[in-house]
Amino acid sequence: MAKPPEPIEEVLPNAQWVVDGEVVEVLSTGAEPPKKDAPPTATSVGRKVASQKVKLKVKRVLRGEKLAEIVVEKPEAGYSLKAGNHGPFLIDSSRTILGRYGPDSWSFERIEKALKG
Amino acid sequence: MPVRINDSKLATLYSKLEKQRQTNPNVKIGQDQVLAILSEVGDRSGWSSSKVLTALKKPGTTFDQQVALAKKGMTAAEKKDLAAILDNGTVPLDPSARKLLESVLDRGTPPPPPPSTNGLNITGDQKNGLAGVTKAGATIEAINISAAPGGRLHMDDTMVVGKADASGKFDLAKLTGEQAMREGDQIRMRARYADGTTSDWVTIKAHGIEAKDSRNAVVALFRIGLTDAGNGKVSVANINEGRQVSEPGARLQFTNSRTNEKTIVTIGDDGSFPKDCKLNGKPGDSFSVAATDGVNNTTFATAVGNVTVPGGTPGNVDLIPDPALHKDELNADGTPKYSKQRFTGPLFVNGANFEDVQQGQLGDCYFPAGTAAVAKANPEFITNAVKDNGDGTYTITFKQKDWATGKMKDVPIKVDGDLWARPYGGPLYGRSANSGDPKTMELWFPLVEKAYAQWKGSYNAIGNGGMASDVMEALTGHEGNDMYISGGNKDAAWAQIKKSVDSHLPVAAGTYGEDKEAMYTNTGVYADHAYSIVGYEQTGAEKYVVLRNPWGESEPAGNGPNDGIFKLKLDDFAKLYQNVMYTN
Repeated sequence: MAKPPEPIEEVLPNAQWVVDGEVVEVLSTGAEPPKKDAPPTATSVGRKVASQKVKLKVKRVLRGEKLAEIVVEKPEAGYSLKAGNHGPFLIDSSRTILGRYGPDSWSFERIEKALKG
Repeated sequence: MPVRINDSKLATLYSKLEKQRQTNPNVKIGQDQVLAILSEVGDRSGWSSSKVLTALKKPGTTFDQQVALAKKGMTAAEKKDLAAILDNGTVPLDPSARKLLESVLDRGTPPPPPPSTNGLNITGDQKNGLAGVTKAGATIEAINISAAPGGRLHMDDTMVVGKADASGKFDLAKLTGEQAMREGDQIRMRARYADGTTSDWVTIKAHGIEAKDSRNAVVALFRIGLTDAGNGKVSVANINEGRQVSEPGARLQFTNSRTNEKTIVTIGDDGSFPKDCKLNGKPGDSFSVAATDGVNNTTFATAVGNVTVPGGTPGNVDLIPDPALHKDELNADGTPKYSKQRFTGPLFVNGANFEDVQQGQLGDCYFPAGTAAVAKANPEFITNAVKDNGDGTYTITFKQKDWATGKMKDVPIKVDGDLWARPYGGPLYGRSANSGDPKTMELWFPLVEKAYAQWKGSYNAIGNGGMASDVMEALTGHEGNDMYISGGNKDAAWAQIKKSVDSHLPVAAGTYGEDKEAMYTNTGVYADHAYSIVGYEQTGAEKYVVLRNPWGESEPAGNGPNDGIFKLKLDDFAKLYQNVMYTN
């Protein structure tokens, strides 16, 4: 994708949970989205990979009801998850991961600052 | 170029529509207007035009009957006139009117694949690939001539997609990769027999693959060469004959940015322009190019980019309308979701610095990465290219290779300080690191990006990916190059990086974007992304490449402040990056 992450202020209002989590298992993977027409070495083409259903182990909850584990959907996006990937996950009410790059979208510091408002 | 209509009644009717459109841009040829046109065409069937019109409008008259009525009285000259209205007309046609005219000209629904004159027949749709019948044991060769214009293929550069069995049947024959068939694509194919001879070429329009044709005509802008032909005319040519400008039948609209005159050109069967194709214009004129395949972008609302006529007087350039938003920032009805704001800050604060550059919400990472690489290598490339005209406008002078002479020529673009802005402040697209405030933000980078969008057609035209080497070439006038990194040429990549950095020439790198996204999560490096290379370091035997993320932040951990600048061991660099882009 290679656009910068969305401004946190625009995404945070939609987050029912903000957690420090780690992917423990990829449960399923969706169909591959259509390929983009572009030279292979072009960048910022907006290439996306399939959606995934993953199980997260929750180490810390920064917003939302306490939980130890949650199954969430990674939408079709320019990143992909595997077991061991970790970081801050913003999750909406339909249990979909928010942010263009999932756990690599914003630092904990940035999120915590935005949560304090 | 006004549309040329020979029949006097038709010419009067069409001229009236053109005049109406001058005062009301919403005027189109709808059902009433197209029937009026056809009534003038059908009037030689022994009926007056008013009688034909009554018959055409009579409740219960079917589409096929309307077509038959018009065709019955149509002369060869009128047929030409209708084709001119369809292909070169300046008054847009709504889809039903277009369909009716196309049917009268026998261009309506694409005909079924033609029966082969020499042994290749395609059967069924292409849901599961190409299927058909030919001679036993023949190999089937095909090329997707809807996808090919974007690459380096000639129309004869086929790939083998299948083989006929002992009964001559073949099926499940598929083109792959960038050639993969999509709905509505034109597929050119032939059979190659055991004795080395081939069948005639057969071209089909792929169908049954997707719900709709969503691939518009691809246009190879870089193959369009304009030259001054004198007397206010500009010749249009394919500078790479043998390779396509676009798919056969595609219609390209050239809009002269100076006069706003629109001219439509239809691409021939060879994927090129008609012979002696000309536009009204003069040296220095810039033309916006939009294309349609007859299904997508039929109103030419989305431009592909701009082409310019070599020559003219740089600097004496007109301010042209601001580039439109990227399609992601448009409402369903095409209106913008954001508004513009006038930015009046300083053009430069302490000159042009690579750390000034920050990518906005636009898929053009290659642009800020390339621009920051140029600013790092030699800021004078930027300060020489960007001038304040002192009247609220700025002229950014890009460089472009003149296909006719092989030399770089100046492409001056004049812009003002209006930028698309967020409702809560700050520019939507490229910005500067010092501030997002309209009164204080350093302007050079957002204005260079705006001018590049203006040159290429819109923010949408530059916001769907590209190559940093093209940007570096446009800003320096030095030819851009691209070196693919693989395990075998890691040292060659290192040597090129050192050479570029030491020579004060820009260099950048791109990550992988196809099927390798999982490799990047949690690394601090992002897939499908371009980075400026801002230096190198060597400590003993260990080599490091120093990079900058054009976001101005987000980097691997352990690299000091989160400013987007970080270093990677050469081995890690060669694993995560697929190419090095540089200028000679």
